[in-house]
This record gives sequence, structure tokens and C-alpha cells, in this order.
Amino acid sequence: MKPLAGEHTPEDLGPIAQFSMNFALEFRAVRKKYGRRMALDGLDLQVPAGSVFGLVGSNGAGKTTAMAVAAGLLRISGGEVKVLGAGFFHPAEAAGRLALLPQDSRLPPHGRVAELLEYYASLQGLAPAARKKCVAQILAWTNLEDRADSRVRTLSHGMARRLAIAQAFLGEPELILLDEPLSGLDPRESARIRSMITEKRGTRTIVISSHILSDIELMCDHVAFVEKGRLVRQTTVERATGRSDVIAYLLGAGSPPVERLKTELPECAIEWEQAGRVLKVRSSNRRLSVPQINETVCRALFESGVELVEIRCGSSLERAYFEATAEAVTPRPSPPGAGARP
Amino acid sequence: MRSDARKFVIVASNEVFDSIRSRRALVLLALYMAGSAAATLLFISFLRNIEAQLMKSLGLPESANAGSVTRELWKSEVFRGAVAHMVRDRELAERLLSIPPLGLFYGWLAATFAPLLVLLTSSVRISEEIWTGSARFVLFRCPRLTWVLGKTAGQAVQTLAALLLGACAAWITGWIRLKAFDAGPAAWAMMLFSLKAWVYSLAFVGLAMGVSQIFASPNVATAVCFVALFGMGVVHGIAAHARNPVLREAAQGAEIVLPGGHLMDAVWHFDAPHFLSGCAFSAALGMLYLGIGYAFFSRRDM
Repeated sequence: MKPLAGEHTPEDLGPIAQFSMNFALEFRAVRKKYGRRMALDGLDLQVPAGSVFGLVGSNGAGKTTAMAVAAGLLRISGGEVKVLGAGFFHPAEAAGRLALLPQDSRLPPHGRVAELLEYYASLQGLAPAARKKCVAQILAWTNLEDRADSRVRTLSHGMARRLAIAQAFLGEPELILLDEPLSGLDPRESARIRSMITEKRGTRTIVISSHILSDIELMCDHVAFVEKGRLVRQTTVERATGRSDVIAYLLGAGSPPVERLKTELPECAIEWEQAGRVLKVRSSNRRLSVPQINETVCRALFESGVELVEIRCGSSLERAYFEATAEAVTPRPSPPGAGARP
Repeated sequence: MRSDARKFVIVASNEVFDSIRSRRALVLLALYMAGSAAATLLFISFLRNIEAQLMKSLGLPESANAGSVTRELWKSEVFRGAVAHMVRDRELAERLLSIPPLGLFYGWLAATFAPLLVLLTSSVRISEEIWTGSARFVLFRCPRLTWVLGKTAGQAVQTLAALLLGACAAWITGWIRLKAFDAGPAAWAMMLFSLKAWVYSLAFVGLAMGVSQIFASPNVATAVCFVALFGMGVVHGIAAHARNPVLREAAQGAEIVLPGGHLMDAVWHFDAPHFLSGCAFSAALGMLYLGIGYAFFSRRDM
């Protein structure tokens, strides 16, 4: 596949992609129609191998459809899909290399938790000894050890969700597709799963679809904004949020030494927003690292007796998403006279 | 190929265990066994009534050995002639009359009710997984064809178990209630008829699993199966009783692709050419129905 035109550059794809240009999942102009409705309307995606990739979009944007297409559960109406370097995913050829956490699917209710995982692991091709070990690890990982012998139908919604997440990590597949993985989890389990997903970064490719942008920001290193079945923007989370470009200091009482900072940080642009009491330092050429800038600014603020409330790198992913997709989700203006009341 | 065979076995065995775990199959199995025992009881009391009436009309004292008169009746030339007239084959009649009455009765019971049992249990097995989405946890791990074949094999194994257990229930009932009971020959006949009825019901397993692949709603799938069964009954009725020769011949032609058209060969004939042809047709029809369902399922968006 040729690199995608226009949407993003190899630099946007981050260090892993720049190093190997190796993609775990590629979509090129993929179309999927449900009757008259176009769920994917020429979607382009390039998911670098080893990345934790966030798929963000509004309801009906095509995220779940994209996941199902990648897992080989949906047939496409057009375009090209490349999964793990081969074409369309087929379990006969690549079973065990890909796993999916479907969004609104129920696990078989009658089976017991450990038995169900062993069944999936055996289909994944794991040998009996490895299967037992793997299931035990996964149950510990998702904090379901004490429910190993429970029937699935007796689990709470959150526990069933954790079991569904657990099955996706059986046998450590190379590509893991998680559709809304954290929905329905309590805050403690959410944080636990988040940190475990983050730990996998670099070892396998994980694609996460979620509406909770703060989760995406915490877990992912790459992100794609999808609207109306099309890619709006694909980049690294760092770039999307400007994490290494802008540092915002929320200040309390006192007047910040803006002129002193301009002298001490000549490579940076210093902005003082009096209304929000936010001091922004922009480093466009990245000669100075974030710790170096922090050291200079904090010293100046401390010596000037200015109260420092919070330091934040970049803007939120939410803001980046709103900016990137504003045009895509804005309803087209009605033709003159249309719908006008007499 | 080896991997597919391994997955086929995994899916088939999981299918058997899952049916047991779901209790639905267990309940139906228990009902089938209870039905077998109850029907056998009814049959025995029917035999007793006939015997009592015969003895009464002959002015003889009532026999304490229920079944002994039937055994004698079985041997009488008049009765054998009547049966030969019914099946229109003297050789087949002789073969059937060499089987204990209870064995023959179970053959009829199994061939009549096994299709119903199969349609009730198997028609939801795939549609339910499509409906709930649980198939999505499996179909990226296992090719669709292997999954469907594995589930079908699991259902076929369950049907065989149900038929054999039903035979056990009927045999135990006969052993308890009939004084003049040929235990050994009856057990052999019941086992034989269980196997024959199983081969015949493979066509229905294929039908149920085929329909289950086409319809995502379990209720619709079951309803369609029963409509199909009713339709088959209508065609069979026309083929057997229609006065219009054109209609009758058309129905007889259509019966080639329906399981009912091979019931006699698969279940009631014992000579190799008939029996093997019945088996081959029943199994082939099962595969045909399953294949039609798979043609839809292989292209279905999950």
C-alpha cells in the first residue's frame, strides 16, 4: 500500500512507524454499506505495529464497523484491508494473531468463566498446559480469580465486561481490537485495565475505540478521528494535544514575570491570559525540553512570589478532537428557503 | 487442515457440553425419555386390552402373562399375511415380524418423534449465537465452516444419545410391565432402531442447523423449522393418498429431496441396498440443507 495522501505524514505516525513503516492494520478507501446507509465511506487508516491506537468519533461514525471489518466479521463493499501484513483477515490463516472485544455482544451465559476462557484459548491454538497457565494469568490480570468457577450469567455487568476484555488478551495476539473496553467498569477496575493496556505498549498493537477521550489520551500513543465513515485526522496523541509544544501554568495570586521569562526563554513564545490566569509557554523548535522549560518558569514564578496551581502540557485531546472534527460534524446549511415558515 | 480438524472436535465437544449446561437439551432429553416410557406404557396397556378381549371372545381364562398372546399372534399366518399386505413386501413383513413387538413400537416412536426433538433443540443453536452476538467471540478464532460443522456434529451426537436413552427408558418399562418379554431380542431391536432413526434424523439435524444459519432470531428459526416439517407432512400425504395421479407423482418426485421419502429405506428396510440408500440419502439431504444455510451464513455480516 502507498502512504496515504494528505491526511498525515510518516512523522505523524510516530517513532515506531518512522522506524519500520510496519503497519499492523491498514485500511485504504474502505467502504461498507448497510442497505442505503454508508457506514464506512472511504475510510483510510494506518495503525503502526506496536502502537496503542485510539479510534475516536461520534456515535455512528463507523468505529465499531471498522473494528468488525478488521476482525473479518463484516464484508466490505469496496476498498482494501490489510491485516498483519496480509489481506482481509481470515481465521484459518491467522487464528490466534488477532483478537476482538466486540461492543454489544453477550458471552455465552451458561458456561463457567474459566471453562469459557479455556474454550477460546483452545480455539486460539494454545496447547493444554499453556492454556491453563494463560487462563490463570488472565483471570488474575482482570481480578476474576475468585469467579473462575462461576457461571457467566451470574456475573455483574462490570465483571462480564472484564471477562470479555480477558478473552481478547488470551494467547497474547499481535493485534487486539477493543471496542469501548472501559464502558461499564468501576473507576478502580477502569484504572487497572488502563494501566495494563499501557503496559502492553510496544509489545503488541492495540486498537481502542472509545468515546471517553481522557481514557484514549492516557492509554494511546496514536489517535485517529473518524466522522461519517471517513478519516478526519490521524496523528500521534502528542501532536494532537501539542503536549511537547505548549505548557500551560495555571496561576493563583501574584503577577507573573512575563518580561523576565521572555529574556530567559528567547526560543519560546510567552503568553499571559489574565482572564483565565493561564501562562502559556510555546516551544516551536523543541530546542528546550519540557523539564528545562519547567525549571526556568517555576524558578521565576517562585522568586516573584507567584502562586502556582497547576502545570499542564498541551491541550486536552477533547479540544483537539472538537477542533479537528468541527467541520465534519457541522450540519450543512439548508438551501435558501428550505424549511422556512411562511 | 489438521488445525481445522482439531477445531472441529473442540467446537463439537463444546456444543455437547454447552447444551447440557444450558439445561434446555437436558430438559428436552428428560421429556423425550419420559415420553418414551409413557408411550411404551400406553402400548403395553393397549396390548393387554386386546389380549383380554381376545381371550374373552374365545371364552378362555385371562392370561397372567401379558404379551404371551401377542407373541402367539405374531406367529399366526393370518396376521403375517395382513402385515405383508400392509407393507406390500412379504420378505420385509417376515423380517419385521421376527422383531419383538416392543422393538417395532420403539422404531416407530423414534422415527416419528426424533425429528421433532431435533427441530426443537437444534434450530436455535446458531441463531441464538448470532442474536446475542456471542458468535463474535468465536468467529475470529475459528473458520465459519469449521464452527458450523462442529456445532452440527455436536447436535448429531446429542440426538444419538437421546435416542439410545429413550430406548433404555422404553426397554425398562417393557421389562417391568410385560411378563412375557423377550429382553435380549427387544434390547437388540431397540438399539438397532435407535441407530436407524438416528441416521434418518441426520436429515433433520441438517435442516435445523441450516435454518438456524439463515435466521438470526431463534424463535423465527424454530417456527420456520416447524413450518417446513408441516410442509413435508403435506407433501408426504399427497404422495401417499392423492387421487390425482399427476399431483401424486409430483409429490412423489418432490419426496426425493425430503427426508420422509427415505423413511422406509432408512428405518424399516434391513437389506443392504435399501438400508444403505436410505442412509446415504438421509445424510446427503442433511448436508444439502446445511449447505444451503451455510451459503447464507458464509456471507452474513456478524
